[in-house]
Amino acid sequence: MSEELSINDTEQFDIVTCYQKFLKDSPDMSMPIAAIESLVELIKHSKATTLSEFMESLKDASQKLKSSVRNSISLSAGADLFLRFVTRTSHDVTNFEACKVHLINSGKVLVEKATAVRHKIAEIGTILIHSYSRVVMLLLQQAAARKKRFKSTKILRKAGIPATVILDTAVGYIIDKVDAVFVGAEGVVENGGLINAIGTYQVAVVAKAANKPLYAVIESYKFVRLFPLNQYDLPTHTPDLLTFPDLESPRYLSNNDESEDDDVENFEASNPTVDYTPPDYITLLCTDLGVLTPSGILLKRQ
Amino acid sequence: MTGSRDLTAQIESLINRLRRRQVVGSWSVSLETALLFRQVVSVTRWSQVGTLIKLVKDVGRRLVMAQPRELAVGNIVRRVLRLIRDVYNSEVSSNSVKSVPQKGGRLYELQSYGGSNSFMEILNFLTHSFSHLKPSIISELQEMINELENMYVNIADQAMEHIHSNEIIMTVGKSRTVEMFLKAAAKKRKFSVVVAETSPTYLGHEMALSLSQAGIDTTVISDSAIFAVMSRVNKVIMGTHAVLANGGLISVSGAQMVATAAKHHSTPVVVCTGLYKLSPLYPYDEDSFNDMVAPDSVMRFDEGDLIDKVTLINPYYDYVSPELVSLFITNTGGHPPSYLYRLIDENYDPEDTDI
Repeated sequence: MSEELSINDTEQFDIVTCYQKFLKDSPDMSMPIAAIESLVELIKHSKATTLSEFMESLKDASQKLKSSVRNSISLSAGADLFLRFVTRTSHDVTNFEACKVHLINSGKVLVEKATAVRHKIAEIGTILIHSYSRVVMLLLQQAAARKKRFKSTKILRKAGIPATVILDTAVGYIIDKVDAVFVGAEGVVENGGLINAIGTYQVAVVAKAANKPLYAVIESYKFVRLFPLNQYDLPTHTPDLLTFPDLESPRYLSNNDESEDDDVENFEASNPTVDYTPPDYITLLCTDLGVLTPSGILLKRQ
Repeated sequence: MTGSRDLTAQIESLINRLRRRQVVGSWSVSLETALLFRQVVSVTRWSQVGTLIKLVKDVGRRLVMAQPRELAVGNIVRRVLRLIRDVYNSEVSSNSVKSVPQKGGRLYELQSYGGSNSFMEILNFLTHSFSHLKPSIISELQEMINELENMYVNIADQAMEHIHSNEIIMTVGKSRTVEMFLKAAAKKRKFSVVVAETSPTYLGHEMALSLSQAGIDTTVISDSAIFAVMSRVNKVIMGTHAVLANGGLISVSGAQMVATAAKHHSTPVVVCTGLYKLSPLYPYDEDSFNDMVAPDSVMRFDEGDLIDKVTLINPYYDYVSPELVSLFITNTGGHPPSYLYRLIDENYDPEDTDI
């Protein structure tokens, strides 16, 4: 009876709503951090009486969290990191209640440290950028996230950095004027490759062809345990993502000629949100653990 | 008291000799630096490891500033710092006290988030007396000095694995490591060496002379013939001034031309280097590691009218990117460029990258 009750209580607390609330409340918070915070919240609300029940509820919650978003890569990096930590700690502490308190406290420390990480990377980044007489930042934009691309230009302008927006298709055109390419990432995989917004790979290919260095700037909690062998190995490669959401909408169709209307039916539409950039295209990775070569990632992952 | 005055004089003397370029070449610089630090550790009085680390960093910073192009100085300073940290850590862990939190290490080494306060650990690190560690630090330093002294022999011992009979080997510049490496192989194998003359220093001439005196079949070519001759070459073996963290080389001017020609002909490029030349720095800006020396050797001042109509530059070093290097032969064995991150992790503490 008591067991049933506890499960019900856990379910009253909705991990997905909690996660979304965290993201909404602080727009600067990255997804892995929000995931860890929500799992800590879950522990606070958890009424589980045994360790295995507790672990089970955590695993379920992280699974639920992962399946609730379209692209779970960076989220799962955070959630998995925390789950690994829980598994290790649960072996050390014998008292279950003490274990829970300990987990909540250290979860907070983890989040604090992870938030501080960005400043640490910024310190490294400053040295990097100082060594250039002129830095032209190549802004990544995605056709899918138009709002985002203009947002980043606005932010740069505000900081007094001259910024230019170009089309994805103009990367090859502009690359000769560029000194270095900086990209962020959703995740870094085991071999040092990047998972990032669609278009990163092709920018990397162009940068390599033009012999320009490509630096990735990432927090170490984004290291994910994946080893993709090609683009289609990513967990986000789901049929759901392979459709243009508005391709068949009336608005789209009405804007086109009648002759094209027929063709739309015959298209196989593909609209992925992320791609995988192999390590060969990456010059260096700037992380809070220092500057690493792609092969150096192996040593630093946990 | 006299001891510390002597030490100050010794430090000043090395700084001045570095500045005046009276001590040149990464090996002799490294050895002198290591010997100086043995002196620093043994003569100075300290009871806390934190004080010692600060002291070593202070002296190290001055040495590095004295000759910033000589990356080996910084490497030795970082090795000494790492060694002190290692001795301290092993002492502390054997006493079952919590070890120093490695700031640059794994941030999410989650188990270290245990109950104990990291502030206490740092306090312990800074204040507890560890003067009894002095002998073990000095003996570790001595080991490092011995390693430096046996460097060339250790590298040359591997020559038989890399040089085979009747091979044609190309080299560039003059490197004592490569010289000993080739001579060691020549004791048992017969092969020929093509030496690029390496203008404007013409160090290749000296190299060729030394090799031919050891009975090696040696050919000198002009630098402009490197590409043409490369098609006959089986292997390029060269030395370097420094190795950077990504596997790139700071090498004698002309080395990049050799390496690029080798890449075109798919000829392996083997770099012989002691580990003391491995630096944890990255080449964000390749030119910052280069030195422009007097252009006198390119064109003499009395060489006619041309001299005041043109700009003459004479870069001393070349940056060779890691993609052009096939293998590093170090005193700890052969390693590909992609493995260097591991060697850096073993030899230096991430906290000491900026001295």
